[in-house]
Amino acid sequence: MAAAQPNRLPSGGRIDRSRPLAFSFDGKACEGFAGDTLASALMAGGVSLVGRSFKLRRPRGIVGSGAEEPNAIMQIGEGAAAQPNLPATQVELRGGLTARATRGWPAARFDIGAINDVFGRVLGAGFYYKTFMWPRSWWKHYEHGIRKSAGFGQAPDGPDPDRYEHMNTHCDVLVAGGGAAGLMAAMTAAKSGARVILADEQNEFGGSLLASAASIDGVPAADWVAAAVAELQGLEDCVLLPSSTVFGYHDHNFLTIAQRCAGPTGSSDGGAVRERLWRVRARQVVLAQGSLERPLAFCNNDRPGVMLASAVSVYVERYAVLPGRRAVVFTNNDSAYRAAISLAGAGAEVAAIVDSRPGGGGELGVRAQALGIPVLAGHVVSDVAGRRRVTGASIARWSGDSWGAVRSTIRMDCDLVAVSGGWSPAVHLHSQAGGRLAWDESRLCFLPAEARQAHVSAGAGNGKWSLGECLADGLRAGAEAVSRLGLKTAAIRAPETSPDAGENPIEPLWRVPAARDADRCPRQFIDFQNDTTVADIRLAAREGYRNVEHVKRYTALGFGTDQGKLGNINGMAVLADVLGKTIPEVGTTTFRPAYTPVSFGVCAGESVGELYDPVRTTAIHQWHEAAGAPMETVGQWRRPWYFPRNGEDLHAAVARECLAVRNSLGVMDASTLGKIDACGPDVVEFLERIYTHNVGRMKVGRCAYGVIPGEDGMLKDDGVMARTGERRFYLTTTTGGAAAVLDWMEKWLQTEWPELEVYLTSLTDHYSTIAAAGPNSRRLLEKLGCDIPLDKERFPFMTVKPAELAGMRVMLFRVSFSGELAFEINIDSNNAPAMWRKIMEAGAEFDIAPYGTETMHVLRAEKGFIIAGQDTDGSVTPVDLGMNWLLSKEKDFLGKRSLQRPDCLREDRKQWVGLLSQDGRTVLPEGTQLIGDNGKAAKMCGHVTSSYFSACLGHPIALGLVAGGRQRKGETIYAAQAGRDPLPVQIVSPVFYDPRGKRQHV
Amino acid sequence: MLLIECPWCGPRAETEFSYGGEAGIERPADPYALSDAEWADYLFFRSNPRGAHRELWNHAQGCRRWFGVERDTVSYRIEKSYRLGSAGSGRPAAAQIEASEEKRR
Amino acid sequence: MSETSSPLPGVEISVRSGRGFLNLRLNPRRGQALEAAERILGQPVPPAANTFTAGEHEIYWLGPDEWLIATAAERVLSLGSELAEGLAGFHSAVNDVSGGHVELLVSGVDARTVLTKGCTLDLHPREFAPGQCAQTGLGRAAVLLAAGDPSIYTIVVRRSVSDYLCSWLANAARPHGARFPAR
Ligand SMILES: [Zn+2]
Repeated sequence: MAAAQPNRLPSGGRIDRSRPLAFSFDGKACEGFAGDTLASALMAGGVSLVGRSFKLRRPRGIVGSGAEEPNAIMQIGEGAAAQPNLPATQVELRGGLTARATRGWPAARFDIGAINDVFGRVLGAGFYYKTFMWPRSWWKHYEHGIRKSAGFGQAPDGPDPDRYEHMNTHCDVLVAGGGAAGLMAAMTAAKSGARVILADEQNEFGGSLLASAASIDGVPAADWVAAAVAELQGLEDCVLLPSSTVFGYHDHNFLTIAQRCAGPTGSSDGGAVRERLWRVRARQVVLAQGSLERPLAFCNNDRPGVMLASAVSVYVERYAVLPGRRAVVFTNNDSAYRAAISLAGAGAEVAAIVDSRPGGGGELGVRAQALGIPVLAGHVVSDVAGRRRVTGASIARWSGDSWGAVRSTIRMDCDLVAVSGGWSPAVHLHSQAGGRLAWDESRLCFLPAEARQAHVSAGAGNGKWSLGECLADGLRAGAEAVSRLGLKTAAIRAPETSPDAGENPIEPLWRVPAARDADRCPRQFIDFQNDTTVADIRLAAREGYRNVEHVKRYTALGFGTDQGKLGNINGMAVLADVLGKTIPEVGTTTFRPAYTPVSFGVCAGESVGELYDPVRTTAIHQWHEAAGAPMETVGQWRRPWYFPRNGEDLHAAVARECLAVRNSLGVMDASTLGKIDACGPDVVEFLERIYTHNVGRMKVGRCAYGVIPGEDGMLKDDGVMARTGERRFYLTTTTGGAAAVLDWMEKWLQTEWPELEVYLTSLTDHYSTIAAAGPNSRRLLEKLGCDIPLDKERFPFMTVKPAELAGMRVMLFRVSFSGELAFEINIDSNNAPAMWRKIMEAGAEFDIAPYGTETMHVLRAEKGFIIAGQDTDGSVTPVDLGMNWLLSKEKDFLGKRSLQRPDCLREDRKQWVGLLSQDGRTVLPEGTQLIGDNGKAAKMCGHVTSSYFSACLGHPIALGLVAGGRQRKGETIYAAQAGRDPLPVQIVSPVFYDPRGKRQHV
Repeated sequence: MLLIECPWCGPRAETEFSYGGEAGIERPADPYALSDAEWADYLFFRSNPRGAHRELWNHAQGCRRWFGVERDTVSYRIEKSYRLGSAGSGRPAAAQIEASEEKRR
Repeated sequence: MSETSSPLPGVEISVRSGRGFLNLRLNPRRGQALEAAERILGQPVPPAANTFTAGEHEIYWLGPDEWLIATAAERVLSLGSELAEGLAGFHSAVNDVSGGHVELLVSGVDARTVLTKGCTLDLHPREFAPGQCAQTGLGRAAVLLAAGDPSIYTIVVRRSVSDYLCSWLANAARPHGARFPAR
């Protein structure tokens, strides 16, 4: 054990020493304990080098203990279940876990890119913009190398096998953060009867209390936490979410939480969920995410072994890991003294506490000195020695009054430098919610100011540093949320704590001046992940960047996966200094979700594969599938595309299906058509306004083809409508337009014409529609047994009748979308499969051919019938389509006024025409551009909207929109062809087959 | 995701609704009396204000009612939602506005 | 779909067969239309939004002038014509929509959790109590969701998306040891 975990302390911590866990890092076998994070286990194992920096390839070690970690960025797992770019500090250790450093290809210990550090002088701010963008055509060569050496993690190599899910929930109070303040707020709210969700990003609640030596109500802080959590668990309507990061605060108090539930399960049929996204609508929110410690900028402050002081305490106290044997603690505030005390208590030597303040620390300073720790007040660390690990620190006297050079230094050997530059409340969620920030000059941090949504901040996140303040502030925030809910606050007292140690105030120190000029000294890092240095920010300012958002983009400050949690405030301070402004004048950059990176898996949840989007199927779908029909997706619908016989391909099957309809009998499932029942005393008046034709002239039992323009005059949708009663119509729409047409009609009824009494009811799903088309369709119906006469005198074209067919009640339409004698059978979907089967049986003697969408398209194209949405695109009027005959002159209708706009009257508008390839064999690709001459000047005059091979005519046919096309029939224009000469095409009438329309009337 | 109060069904997630553009645009009584420019103004031009905006929403996945919403286009705060009056063109029924304001107090 | 041998599944999902549906439109504030409908139906037509009444039929509020009547399939024809006749004097609409809907039951201690995975409504029993219904989204489908006795929910969904919804439910219920009889 000792060999495997040389830095593990013999006792203490919240790890379970009875459960050792084996894992691997960069291919090497390692060991840790249950309760470890990957970071604490690596540190216990003596791994100090965990990656290379982004640009300069400098060796890097673990800096922090939580979401702020910039360096220890890992690729976890292998293959399809791999997860890139996770901070080791937030990965709970599991047995068998495999980790690789994402930054440090091919391995952290040996990195060929480290040469960048030597030539790094030329890799300043904006380097990528300045160098690699020129010449532009070379970028594709640079890009590969940059991406590889940048060392981001690798995407999984297959579909993620694990299960992710979403959970939509509501609560009265969401408490983000389960430290001292969050626990108090949750307790207050839950005990007052509110529905509470408490979420914390760590696997245990308690936050900093888990590494605290303080006592609360006379018991150790961790015991108080355990008791509080147990009490909350016992309360009704209190949901506790550990390992859950509240990462987004969106509009209207909608928050998103990513919960890490299990490691990769590697099996998609297991029930275990890997990650869960909680989508929470909270009436009130308490933000208690604590604060983030800031580092200080000094030369070579990125060397492995330079860590945040608070992280040092966490590793010692919570994980029983000693981050170093001989430490220098460097601070401008009192909090770092705790790290020194922790280290001394764990048996490490603390060479000195280097405190920039002339007066040093307060009570904690006295305590440290009592432990024999030397305190160097009025001193700073100006540089560190060592490359792969700190070997010593240079310490200089500091007067604090200028950015002047620091000259005489003393050197102190050490393998750990614990740094504290003060604390920044985690105001991210407050700011995402639109809340303002205010600079606090005494605490030297931005504090949450006015909120714009229903939230209140508490604890360290609200600038309350001491435990006693945090507990009291949590109680206050919880009570405030409760009172805003209109509930009565339960009587709860703030727990007793040992009195807070008297502190000396923090001193404004952001960066230690170097012995040499700031731009020539060894690098002083601000953003470790993106290698942004003090010099880079100064360079940006010199080059004219004044706005913090611009400086951010120019220097990449805060652009890493850690989003600058450590560097942003320090960077602003450096910018403020060089611009001669104050920090609040410089301001912060915008905080946006997500607070920490979120996996694509948890964003997608269950909406993957067959559940990605609803699939709509008709009642007869199973028959189509059994018949082996390939399916076409039309909106959300799956429709049979064609019905191959004996291994036919699309072309052969469609040719056969088309000829079957023209010569004998075909049958199609047209159930996806939209269907609307419209009834009421004002239904005629209403439909007169919606449709262009004279609706009122239709007699009961008559059908009509109708088009619906928008108010701009452009065609929206079309379909057959039938008058089924004096005050009742049955309207059909296109498959894709069903919902939009109903919405359109309801909008006019409800917002503009509420005086019209009309009820609209969707019947799309209720009725299945079976179209029987072809010269033998009447004989088919007669054979099935129909209780109404079907001859052309008593049931003429464009009429509708209720009937009983094959013993089932149907609405029988004599309409045709193929130009043949045809009937559309509308039947209760429950009976549709039976009807379909009977039709197939009865149709056998006519060699009935079921046909799909492709044949339907060819048949209608031969007849010059449009498909709204294919031949039209929102810029085509009924006039452009040659439908003047449909436009009533006797009434107004929506869109009529717009048809008189000058643009709609232009002679050279694109008009819908037929097109014939003059070579008699080329089927033009749909979308083909049409040009006026054979290509020299290439003036575009239109495009092809529909194009097929017509088996019945024996040659290709096409439809398209051509400028002034209707007046140009007989003219030859050209179809542009990729890589070939333009093909001559002739403009013809769009009706290719049976132009007089005799066949449908028989 | 916005939380929109349907005046019939109560507060529901934005995903249940569809947006219908600016409310209160009066459809000209006689479109043919308008010049082409005036007609285009009615048809195509919207105020797109910064701040308070009256707009139409449809509770598409719910009761299918169109209703009015007053929403701040900067903060996205919804000041009120209201049933439409009988006057048409998405104008609120005065009584409904009052009722909705009453409720908020 | 994995079957579990656990004797006590957290959720059970079933399709209710033999159901018929009528869509009813009328103005409840106009004349005696509502009363006429109630006489024929033999139970109250709920005037309050997001509620339903249960008797011989379930009558769900869909909108201020729209209801869905769920009843035995064999009752639809006669009930539909009785309503059409009885309401002939009023502006009203009665449509047989039996072919357009599928009714599902989701029950068990985990039923609410399963629905929560795909529904943005607040399903807490205090907010969505027995007797309440709502048209909302479940997964990516539009549904009518109704709360029956505690931990029994009825879902009425469009027939064309019912296969999708069943797949969605089966998947969401899987970690809860769902029983999902083959349809
Ligand atoms: Zn509604």
